[in-house]
Amino acid sequence: MKKRPTLSFKGRLFAAFLLASLVPLLICSAMLLQIFRLRMTEADAVDARERLGSVSAALDRACGGFAAAAESIQDNALLLSAAAGGGPEDTGIYSLLFEYTGSAREYARFDLYDAQGQRRYSTRSGPAPDTLPTDWGVLGAAARQDGLVFAACDSSGGSAPLFQGAAALAAPGGDTAGYLVISLYQSDFHTLLEGNYGSQGTLLLLDPYWRGVYCAQPALGETLVPELRSRLLAGQSLDGAQGDFLYSVQLHPETGLYLILQRTQVFTRETVALLYTVSLSCALACVLVSVLLSLSLSRQMFRPIAQLRAGIHEVERGNLDVSLAQQRGDELGELSEHFNSMVAALKHNQEQLIENQRELNQAQIRMLQAQLNPHFLCNTLDTMKWISKINKVPQVALMSTDLADILRFCISPEEFAPLVRETEILQRYIEIHRIRLSGAVSFDVDLPEELAGCLVPKMILQPIVENAILHGLDGVENGRVEVRVTSSGDGLLRISVSDNGRGLPPEMEGAYRKAVREGSSGHLGLYNVDTILLKYYGEAFGLELKNRPGGGAEVTAKLPVRRKERSD
Amino acid sequence: MIKKLLCVIVVFALLCGCAGSTPAAKSGFAPDEEHRLVVYTSHKQEVWQPIVREFERRTGIWVDVVYGATSELLERIERESRDVQADLMFGGGVESLETYRECFTPYTCAGADRLLTQFRCADGLWTPFSALPVVLIYNTKLMEPGLLTGWRDLLAPELQGEIAFTDPSVSGSAFTALMTMLCALPGDRGENLRAFAENLGGVQLDGSGAVLTAVADGSATVGVTLEETALKRIAEGENIAMVYPADGTSCVPDASAIVRGAPHEENARAFIDFTVSAEVQRLLASQFCRRPVLEGVDSLPGSPALDELPAADYDLELAVSERDAVLMSWAFYLVKSEA
Repeated sequence: MKKRPTLSFKGRLFAAFLLASLVPLLICSAMLLQIFRLRMTEADAVDARERLGSVSAALDRACGGFAAAAESIQDNALLLSAAAGGGPEDTGIYSLLFEYTGSAREYARFDLYDAQGQRRYSTRSGPAPDTLPTDWGVLGAAARQDGLVFAACDSSGGSAPLFQGAAALAAPGGDTAGYLVISLYQSDFHTLLEGNYGSQGTLLLLDPYWRGVYCAQPALGETLVPELRSRLLAGQSLDGAQGDFLYSVQLHPETGLYLILQRTQVFTRETVALLYTVSLSCALACVLVSVLLSLSLSRQMFRPIAQLRAGIHEVERGNLDVSLAQQRGDELGELSEHFNSMVAALKHNQEQLIENQRELNQAQIRMLQAQLNPHFLCNTLDTMKWISKINKVPQVALMSTDLADILRFCISPEEFAPLVRETEILQRYIEIHRIRLSGAVSFDVDLPEELAGCLVPKMILQPIVENAILHGLDGVENGRVEVRVTSSGDGLLRISVSDNGRGLPPEMEGAYRKAVREGSSGHLGLYNVDTILLKYYGEAFGLELKNRPGGGAEVTAKLPVRRKERSD
Repeated sequence: MIKKLLCVIVVFALLCGCAGSTPAAKSGFAPDEEHRLVVYTSHKQEVWQPIVREFERRTGIWVDVVYGATSELLERIERESRDVQADLMFGGGVESLETYRECFTPYTCAGADRLLTQFRCADGLWTPFSALPVVLIYNTKLMEPGLLTGWRDLLAPELQGEIAFTDPSVSGSAFTALMTMLCALPGDRGENLRAFAENLGGVQLDGSGAVLTAVADGSATVGVTLEETALKRIAEGENIAMVYPADGTSCVPDASAIVRGAPHEENARAFIDFTVSAEVQRLLASQFCRRPVLEGVDSLPGSPALDELPAADYDLELAVSERDAVLMSWAFYLVKSEA
């Protein structure tokens, strides 16, 4: 399995900060952008609708005026006959024409054509075609259809009309008497519509097939109208790919004109770019702050941890003199405090260990000192034994034999000896004493058979017995020393050496070690034995001193039962 | 962690994307397919616009006009034969349409029997629109009247380098004029072609309108063009006079043809019917200086009637079959004369 790459603590902290700061920011920015755009677009669309509505209303008013004029002219027999027959210009006809067309003349030209398309009367004196084809254009449409019809003019020139309405005037007989033609020029549309759609934006009027009729800026209209038409036919958005402008479209049903209002895009590319820039800058700032925060926080956290790590490394290398500086009171501070105390405890333990080792070494050195040149002594003693046998001095022979045995035992390399052997050596020692002290001491050993093989540190009984003979029985008649070995069930071996001597001073009673600690000067022999027991077996074992109830002292060595391990 | 960050970035991008895209304001005012017509035309706007707008008003069909040179549009139609865009080719001499006959489908228009017989198409591949005799023009300030009478004069050395003529490989009318001259002049066609090319002095113009301009401003003394164009410019008061070549002219009609596989074929038929209707044909004569192809419609006012014109023995089939060969020779001679 592929191991997932793990980020450092610093990295994770940074990512977390980044996530916590960047995500809400980005979501907020995006939503704000969206809402902002929606609101602005909506407001703009509503505004455009209102403006187009007022343009539409103006056109409605104009159409109303045109329809009223057409109806009045149709109803007037004099005007009908004038249109049909023509004749000389008659002021009466003109006054009627002016009366019926009323205020609509401000933004339209009214002409009367006869049935052949010949112009008869005009409300304006400007140039106008004298004839209009009756099978083409607006007259053709009027001939095909009842009522007022509207059509955009084909020719686009500065002086030509842009948009025409026409109605066929029916003679009383049913024939066409003539036509009323209403023409709107660029200036007329300007008069009619200007101010209705506000100063912002450009108004375009398109015919039902989206060909240009009127544009407030004719030059713009010439290029824009074909473009809008092709976008419409291609099924594209009118706003186009550039999107710099917005278009609102409304149909004016009576004239069939499409009203198109072009406004500059409220939400321009620049605005969007600005908003994006702001958002991105904020995001960048977030990243920066996250980096700084994560760096400083991780450093704060990391420094004590690094110290701790360095300390642990030192301890691993064996340097126990490490101590961490205490600077903070939080959990990390507590951690380094604990570390310090742990190291201190460790150091103390180690010193204790070394001290113990040193003491053991000293005891061993003392023992070695006692083994000075032992072979020479042994051989000398053997020589002495033979000389005394030859010279018939049996005591000397016995003593030198005993001494040699003891010495051999002492210098043997084994540290432990079976109890039975230990007691034998003790017998030798006692024999020497008997000879020295003329048999004044009796010696008994009570060693149960099953405990005879128990291993004990060699030469631990001799110093105790020596102590009893030298100190306990000093000046006592019929001195007696008893060695009794017992074992309790829990594996504790008790070796008691008792005498019937003067007894111990009371401060010596109890555990020997305790007495020594309390300051009473012990005997070197007992001290050595106690120390050996301590070093070999631990605090729980050692010497115990007490006075016997019937007089005399009893020294008991406590040690665990160990037997010789026979592997063969 | 990195994955999460990526997710965040993607989400943001999506949100921005939503914010960036406006709901496409597709207008509901667009006409449905049944009310559409795509017309490729080589007619100038002043010709097609009134006709197209009147057609829209009468039928309610939206016409999408694509304007271009004849050969350019025909090549485009051929290119688009797998994905047909155009419904109708409106304009272009009939020999051009014949050259691309594979792209078109025959249609016999309403009232086909009222078309002038010499302009009828045998197999109905195209429908004539107007008749355009080839004429010669001269600058009235640079040349005395009566000096220019026919094609023969164009080969005279006096007019070397003084003739305005359009590149026949670009302009269909120039090719028609060239073929007319070759049919009208006696003698070997190849020889006449070489002589005319040499008399041009290596200069040919890149549009039919440029001939009139060149003659009017005096940079050329004489020119070859169509009656329609010449009459219009004369009416505008230019220093131009027009001569029907005495050794014969042609009267090749321009025509309309329905593109094979047209998406709106019904509408295209309606449009063709409209172009040969009496109203449109009357408009041709009265407004555009073009000769109508419909019987009973008054021809150009003030101009000789069609049958009064000196007619060359114009061979339409030859014009179609020899087109590439003639154009190649033309290009060859022209480059040579330039050197």
